[in-house]
Amino acid sequence: VRGRDVVAGRVSTAIALVVTLGPVEAHHVGAYIPSDNEITTNFKQIKFSVQAGKFDVALRLFDTGPLRADMRARAATLPPRLEAGLRAALAASDGAEVERRLMVFFAALARDLALEAAHQTADPKLSRDVRTVIGQRFLEAIWRYYNLVDFAVAQRDDTTSVAARLAFDEAGGYVKSSGAADPDRLQQPLRRIAQVLAALIESSTPARRGS
Amino acid sequence: VLLTAVVLIVCAEVGGASMVRFKLELTRWARSAMLARPAVHGLVGVRDVDERVLDEALVKFDAGLRLFHLHAEGMGLVIIATTTVAATLASSPASRRPIIALLTVGGAGYPLGYLLWSGLIPYYGLERGKTIAEWLVWIPFGGATIVALWWLAGLIAWRMTGRQRA
Repeated sequence: VRGRDVVAGRVSTAIALVVTLGPVEAHHVGAYIPSDNEITTNFKQIKFSVQAGKFDVALRLFDTGPLRADMRARAATLPPRLEAGLRAALAASDGAEVERRLMVFFAALARDLALEAAHQTADPKLSRDVRTVIGQRFLEAIWRYYNLVDFAVAQRDDTTSVAARLAFDEAGGYVKSSGAADPDRLQQPLRRIAQVLAALIESSTPARRGS
Repeated sequence: VLLTAVVLIVCAEVGGASMVRFKLELTRWARSAMLARPAVHGLVGVRDVDERVLDEALVKFDAGLRLFHLHAEGMGLVIIATTTVAATLASSPASRRPIIALLTVGGAGYPLGYLLWSGLIPYYGLERGKTIAEWLVWIPFGGATIVALWWLAGLIAWRMTGRQRA
């Protein structure tokens, strides 16, 4: 019986040590991995269908998906006939034109977000910390959209791609969580992102290309 | 002690079943409560930005419910196992009773922190809700379990060394 007691004691001591010697931050509350929103999901579905040469599938996904609905909702801020032209390109199985129009759409989304971010982070009524958090969130949203088309942008105009990424990196440096955050300096890179993307959209519109 | 552990496990099962049965209703409620408090969650009024914030809060809200289910099940078993060890090996009533009380109260209370955290997220946000749950539940009840386990480990070690000397 004594031997059993000793074994039981050793086992329980080991259990107690394992249970209590964990890391200090023991309140595990789960991890969050940002997922695609409905627009980026629909974009990927269309893009992969086009890459696979399944234009009928891509057209159906476009016609029934949230990307087209969003294009219609934002028609006022987009180049004229962007949605109709994208649909026509899908119907004509013109992969390059589909890619160009999608690039313009996502560049426009990123441009509008950059302008809104510049506006909101300049609000003097908000504290520095709040403006830093707002800046971080806008930059995440801008990158989520721009990142989807950066390759297409770089293929057409490498200078624009590099300028957008440099401005994005600079803006990111001003909203770092560390003590080095400086939201007062965010305006310049955010406006540069908007300008660069506006120029890209302008140079990629069908009117300019004569198409 | 046994009743507490069983009730805790029953709560875990009911919580898990309710989480599945009322998932849509719970998500709708949490979302509307968050939308009613834009300043708390740092919403900026731009869908492309706010959806990501709401999505993270809803994922954590759901994670809190899941963790309650998980911890309530686990801690029920931990209460049974550790109090059995204490009742068997802590010979002195002066130490056995408080150890069993701490293990039972700590083990039963700790999982409720996750339920509280989930409930607080829509009203106070992720971090503030977590801080409240930590100070009100996780630290006192988790601390009680940890203290009891160390106490029990010390007693057992003392008993072993005493026996080996004898």
